[in-house]
Amino acid sequence: MTSWPDRRDDKNTMNKYRLLRTIRAQGHGPAQFAHALRGIAFGGDQTLYAVGDKKVVVFDPRGEPLRTWATDKPGHAIAVDPNGSVYVGQDGQVEISDNHGRQRRTWRDPQHMGLITAIAFSGDSILLADAKARRIHVYDREKNFQRDIGHENRMRGFVIPNRHLDLAVDAQGVLHAPSSGQHRVVRFKLDGERLGHVGRFGGPDPSGFSGCCNPTNLALFDDGRFAVTVKAPPEVKIFTSEGALLGRIKAAAFDANCKNMDIAIDKQERIYVVDTERLHVLVFVPVSETATQPATAAPTETESP
Amino acid sequence: MSEVMNRRELLEKAGRGVTLLGLGGLAAYLLSKSDAEGAWLIDPSKCINSRLGAVGIPACERCADSCVLEFSAVRAVNDHAKCGRCYICPAYFDIRSPVNAEGLPSKKLCPRDAIERKPIGWVDPYDPANNYYEYIIDETRCNGCGKCVMGCKEPAGLSSIRLEVRYDLCVDCNRCSIALACPHEAYDRRPIAPGDKQDEHA
Repeated sequence: MTSWPDRRDDKNTMNKYRLLRTIRAQGHGPAQFAHALRGIAFGGDQTLYAVGDKKVVVFDPRGEPLRTWATDKPGHAIAVDPNGSVYVGQDGQVEISDNHGRQRRTWRDPQHMGLITAIAFSGDSILLADAKARRIHVYDREKNFQRDIGHENRMRGFVIPNRHLDLAVDAQGVLHAPSSGQHRVVRFKLDGERLGHVGRFGGPDPSGFSGCCNPTNLALFDDGRFAVTVKAPPEVKIFTSEGALLGRIKAAAFDANCKNMDIAIDKQERIYVVDTERLHVLVFVPVSETATQPATAAPTETESP
Repeated sequence: MSEVMNRRELLEKAGRGVTLLGLGGLAAYLLSKSDAEGAWLIDPSKCINSRLGAVGIPACERCADSCVLEFSAVRAVNDHAKCGRCYICPAYFDIRSPVNAEGLPSKKLCPRDAIERKPIGWVDPYDPANNYYEYIIDETRCNGCGKCVMGCKEPAGLSSIRLEVRYDLCVDCNRCSIALACPHEAYDRRPIAPGDKQDEHA
């Protein structure tokens, strides 16, 4: 397998991360993904929910599969609401079940729903990122459509040549979504008011974003920092809320052909990233200042010290 | 007597010559007939510049270098239905070059400057990223080097650009020199119904 040349300077005083664990999910077994692993999310008990192919697999915090169930259509996004209901974003619909895949029901809204590639909850709102409509749909808990976000601009939506739209909402109810074709993360209030954006095209400068369309996915820390994944070469970047680069997890850990790598952060601030080619979930932990591990460990199974 | 023999020799030689010319003409006709029913095609799934999975490597430039023509018969073709019309196109720009004052890469990728970047509609002066851009390949400049094809390939781009043999330029060599030089056997001679070459190009 070839890898991307990385000529960028990496004299960094930034946060460093090392690979803690690889959750190997590729295969033809019942709790494995044969063709695609597209989304991950945490349940309230810190179990990891993964969606791909036409199934959901739930892993315990050590990465061991706990249970799995089939979905009606291929899943593109997954989220667990505060009540423990699991939402799976699909093409034209959202499949909802309890956290064991039971009591399944399908939520459709043909007037609005296209390809749902991210789901989030905030207060009484359910937010669906729609990669076909290039906007975010806001519904109330009773599934009544409230409004769209991100479409009131000259481009009539987010600019996503990579055909994937991610989102995350912080504790203050601020919506963050990457507009990858504009090399930025855009912020909105949930009433649709645009608050601004961070990020720019950076070329070889790692503090910006390169390629046609980056960043593709994002996740938020509790303190306002955010982490994004980028493609070509695949990488994770961690930023302050103002957009200053704090850390990078570089290409060597991932298959060079990865794109639209979903990302999630647990309560211990471990970063979980989907390798969309090898169908693994890689778990990274910050290296403490006194530790001597390299910033990017080889993708082998290691345990925390 | 010797004069008669000379005349006979002359007539014999002339007869042989006419026969040979006729046979040669017939062979050339048959050969051209067989050529008209086949054409050299590039298989994008074999060409290293467009084949998915092969990333982080320099573009293969054999199509530009190996053609018997001084200016190759191969061209890059952008499938506009597939193109993302990106603000920063990795096939147009050298995305590893330093960023200029306008926030764009300072260098272009095409060594022959054969791609034109045109904004679709008016450009937002405060935010040029607030726009789509059309990328048009100038075939009078493109020599099929494949750099843009490699630049546009997924996951960096959307793989909307591929290489094609232009039939109106191709001289239909019986043994195509690019096919011989291609390290990935991406060239194939495929049967094509008479008249289809023109139709395809049109």
